[in-house]
Amino acid sequence: MDSEDDMHDANDVEEFYSSDDYDDDDDDDDVVVESDNDDYAYDNDSDDASGKLTSIRHQKNYTVLKEEDIRQRQEDDIARISAVLSIPRVSACMLLRQYKWSVNNVHEAWFSDEDRVRKAVGLVEERAVESQNDKELTCEICFESYPVDKINSASCGHPYCCTCWAAYISTSINDGPGCLTLRCPVPSCDAAVSQDMINTLVSSEDREKYYRYLLRSYIEDNRKTKWCPAPGCDCAVEFDVGSGSHDVSCLCSYSFCWNCTEEAHRPVDCETVSKWILKNTAESENMNWILANSKPCPKCKRPIEKNQGCMHMTCTPPCKFEFCWLCLGVWSEHGERTGGFYACNRYEAAKQEGAYDESEKRREMAKNSLERYTHYYERWATNQSSRQKALADLHQMQNVHLEKLSEKHKIPESQLKFVVEAWSQIVECRRVLKWTYAYGFYLPEHDNTKRQFFEYLQGEAEANLERLHQCAEKELQNYLGDGTSEDFNSFRTKLAGLTSVTRNYFENLRVAMQRVGKRARPKYEDQVKARRIQAVEFVIIALISGKWDEWV
Amino acid sequence: MRIYRRPNHFLQNVQVVAVGSSYLVQSAAYKMQASRARLFKEYKEVQREKSADPDIQLVCDDSNIFKWTALIKGPSETPYEAGVFQLAFSVPEQYPLQPPQVRFLTKIFHPNVHFKTGEICLDILKNAWSPAWTLQSVCRAIIALMAHPEPDSPLNCDSGNLLRSGDIRGFQSMARMYTNLAAMPKKG
Repeated sequence: MDSEDDMHDANDVEEFYSSDDYDDDDDDDDVVVESDNDDYAYDNDSDDASGKLTSIRHQKNYTVLKEEDIRQRQEDDIARISAVLSIPRVSACMLLRQYKWSVNNVHEAWFSDEDRVRKAVGLVEERAVESQNDKELTCEICFESYPVDKINSASCGHPYCCTCWAAYISTSINDGPGCLTLRCPVPSCDAAVSQDMINTLVSSEDREKYYRYLLRSYIEDNRKTKWCPAPGCDCAVEFDVGSGSHDVSCLCSYSFCWNCTEEAHRPVDCETVSKWILKNTAESENMNWILANSKPCPKCKRPIEKNQGCMHMTCTPPCKFEFCWLCLGVWSEHGERTGGFYACNRYEAAKQEGAYDESEKRREMAKNSLERYTHYYERWATNQSSRQKALADLHQMQNVHLEKLSEKHKIPESQLKFVVEAWSQIVECRRVLKWTYAYGFYLPEHDNTKRQFFEYLQGEAEANLERLHQCAEKELQNYLGDGTSEDFNSFRTKLAGLTSVTRNYFENLRVAMQRVGKRARPKYEDQVKARRIQAVEFVIIALISGKWDEWV
Repeated sequence: MRIYRRPNHFLQNVQVVAVGSSYLVQSAAYKMQASRARLFKEYKEVQREKSADPDIQLVCDDSNIFKWTALIKGPSETPYEAGVFQLAFSVPEQYPLQPPQVRFLTKIFHPNVHFKTGEICLDILKNAWSPAWTLQSVCRAIIALMAHPEPDSPLNCDSGNLLRSGDIRGFQSMARMYTNLAAMPKKG
């Protein structure tokens, strides 16, 4: 239906997002969707278009750094400064730390006022204390006299014995990352304690801690890098600040937003997400308990916990509504007719007939603001767990089923990519769908047009995702068991088609949401391109949904 | 294995033999010996230089070298002039790597001293501590703090507010009143 227009615009956009920097050796097996679809037998054109749309989404504006990469970069930066300024490595390291590991800033500051920089960093050259030819010196911490070879000092020359130095440095290292800027113990002295001294004076355990802090500072002080927030992951991500989507995907397969370091939440903005997460932590515990242990009063909707006694409930004043705990019906209608006061057979019967309409009750309850939150929270949480399941299925598919499938139907695994692609799409869509519920919760209730439009798109996207998920989960099972190869070909067409359609629906949803909640202004030409896509989409959506007259 | 020299002075039997080289053992050994040794050095220094600084009189507790008291004179040209203030030092075992705890025993009206407990808010007694400071120099720093109050980080808010609102006379008369009430040496 919309493939022609989509393709056209998608190709235009492609020119702007040059994919040269797309990292090919990226063995990320999670959500990267390959865009070469030449193996596929079905309608190549439409898939090509949407394939390119996804490749825009996965343009790499970030680099994942493993621990050895970080060390390497740190070493390179230090070496560069050390060579350009012709200063020792350790001094270069201190300079870089002071200027938040920005090579440019170090150059700038150093060449504009070297003395000031030296003073700020503690690279003092002149000795505050002239070295005397004494055989013995007094340590100014323990006040004992020591032979000169037991005395050590920073560049300033203030003499302390090795034991006191070791204790002084150890204390500082165990106090935290402040040890990286440790100075001579004399309060008025600026001389920095160099890495050389740390290497020779402290225990290996403390030295290790010190170097861990140094490595951490390289990531934490730098404006362009952040640690991956996944537990147990040691990777960091370098991001090209000011370049589009903040969603990044670490090597550990965890996707997160580089801006707020919460889990990836595009197309919802960071502000909404942080509000939502705060609300969840504040309320979800309560909410779970309330849902599990209480029922709302049928009249005033206040949650009621039943802790003892019979089924005859009387709500607290001012409501005072009397009702049956089991069927939530009016108590005055209860009695012998309904099976006695302690067991309500109306409830049992209704449940058996299916007349006890849960969803009807739910809708009624959603009027309540607490219930409104529950409504969104449940859907958010369900999609969350659904995504986890899909992720597990994807891995299962890649590691086990793909091979089985390939053997059974005599098709090379390379031609089965469409299955993996379908699952990747499901995982990604579940993520987006999940966050649309947080977005929906904060969408102003009075803004009906916007809400209807959003809910319409969300509904469409969700329905398609369900179809895709159903197809990938249930129908595929048949082909792992029996099922002939001809069937399999038609299944291939169906699944790949569903994948592509679902992708388009979610792209529409994304564009619509970002149009409303756009915060950062994109570059002008990108804006123009995006407008054109949006305009075309708007027309299509308006026509499909039959709301052209209403909107235009 | 690391064997520490047994100190050859009067302090109680300090016998330290640290086995192994882990930081904990090492630093425990360090603090047990070093803090006593260092305090003893300071003690001898104070004895020898008794008249060097007439504003400060440091006294070590007879039975416990980790407890000290000091008498300091209020700096001249301040409302504390002519007053004598008593300070209590409680020295931790990690001294001099950790700062001593100091508080005023004499009541004093000063923005950076807690009016009830005598606790002192001074950077060198907290995060800006350096092992190069001594008890004597801490006293000096406290005298300097008396002459130059820091009303922006007050422990005594009433006093801080007087200074911050520019009511120098109000602050001075309050401070002088408490100096006269609490810090004047008894005549005769």
